[in-house]
Amino acid sequence: MENIIEVKNLAKVFGNQTALEDVNFNVKKGETFGFLGPSGSGKTTTIKILTGQLLQTSGDAEVFGVKNTSLNNGSYRKRIGVLSDNSGLYQRLSIIENLKFFCDLYDVPHKRIDEVLELVNLTNEKKKGISKLSKGMTQRVLLARTLLHEPELLFLDEPTSALDPTNSQQIHEGLRRLTEKGTTIFLTTHDMGEAETLCDRVAFLHKGKIQLLDEPKALRRQFADGTLRVELKSGNVVSIPAGAKGADELYQFMSKDEVVSVHSNEPTLGDIFVQVTGKELLV
Amino acid sequence: MTLSWKRINAIFQKDTKDLWKNYFVSSIIVLPILMALLYSYTTEEPSIDLHYMIINLALASVTAFIQCAVIAEEKEKHTLRGLMLSPASIPEILIGKSLVTLFLTVITLLVCAFITGYQPANIALVAVALFISMVFYMGIGMILGLLSRTIIEASFIVMPVIFIFGFGSMLMGLIDRYPVLSFVEYLPNIQLLEFAYQVELGAGFGELWSYLAVILAWAIVAVILSGVVYKKRELDE
Repeated sequence: MENIIEVKNLAKVFGNQTALEDVNFNVKKGETFGFLGPSGSGKTTTIKILTGQLLQTSGDAEVFGVKNTSLNNGSYRKRIGVLSDNSGLYQRLSIIENLKFFCDLYDVPHKRIDEVLELVNLTNEKKKGISKLSKGMTQRVLLARTLLHEPELLFLDEPTSALDPTNSQQIHEGLRRLTEKGTTIFLTTHDMGEAETLCDRVAFLHKGKIQLLDEPKALRRQFADGTLRVELKSGNVVSIPAGAKGADELYQFMSKDEVVSVHSNEPTLGDIFVQVTGKELLV
Repeated sequence: MTLSWKRINAIFQKDTKDLWKNYFVSSIIVLPILMALLYSYTTEEPSIDLHYMIINLALASVTAFIQCAVIAEEKEKHTLRGLMLSPASIPEILIGKSLVTLFLTVITLLVCAFITGYQPANIALVAVALFISMVFYMGIGMILGLLSRTIIEASFIVMPVIFIFGFGSMLMGLIDRYPVLSFVEYLPNIQLLEFAYQVELGAGFGELWSYLAVILAWAIVAVILSGVVYKKRELDE
């Protein structure tokens, strides 16, 4: 499948501080790629480099086959949508006025506004002034603005960080619909649940380096300890080997009708992150 | 290079709505109008010097300040990044963001001229000179706005511009004593004043082009510099 993003040996140094070091990855068309890491790990720096807002110190980054140093042109910008923590809205204007403005900038018909507002669950609030919105609602308007022109590639920097679970779920649903249509998503998050729900592949970024890169399922299998977690009616929880060795033991429990549930002992992405980096994945 | 009128107009419409509700910035137009009222009551027949003190003050305070504040606010509220990442080109953004300033400046100048009773001998030539001057002040405002981090910082950083260009004609009196200040003669505000004197004396384009050329040179430098600073601001440091 065609690579939309290709990054080779990317490095970025600010003064004497290394933000990114020998970063290599690619993102395929239609894929949702998760860049996971705590604050300061280099996630936003990577997005800025890929969107032409920042130049790397060394290495190559290509988006749609064009080097990132040549990305400052209108035709590229029409193909991407960027939602980051430095995105803003016009505070004295209403939601609809903000979105109409961006429709005109991107040459998109105004009827598209209703579609994106429905996606972020703000249809009934469109006449509200931005200054009167909560942080979560503002984040949803920003996301609506990012989706207005139906970009081929979305850069989403912590898109649901300020949202409650219901709205997060609705946004996730909307993003899944976009990927079904072929939109490629480059997502940064520290929310492991979000990564597991949305991402086809994830990269763990820590101290500017990619520590691990694979599909969430593959990572969980790779780091699984090969045991099953059996919950018994007595309230006890026992771990038994997942292979032939544990079959007899599990049979014993089941034949005595003692089993409530059986789960494979796969770690969460958060557990794997801690295991690999020795650090909790905090904001 | 093609310009999209739709995008330019969208920026203009948005800025107009936004500025209409931004009393901190839009109230600056009161300053030259108050000065015009003051002088119209205290002076029977205002001289060209007086007319142009008010006109230059309007250009420095309204044109440069509004342009500077509008850009600085876009930076402060992180909306400039949204514009930079949109398909709008640099000329579209610079023109779009200048139209509302241009509109307010023209209104202010017309009101001031009406109050002080300024009726130029050749209105077309004066309009050309004023338009070129506005381009210069918008360029300066744009540069200062891009260099400011907040709207408050912008209102401080623009003060020297208001002083030098708004009241610059007062510096002319110091040239005899301090020859180092002779460059003041070539400032766009002084050239505009000299130009206006010549127009009143009945000079034609042949005698006036040099004044226009100097103001135009200032305007071109300001526009190029604003483009360079904008391009630099597209990249984070």
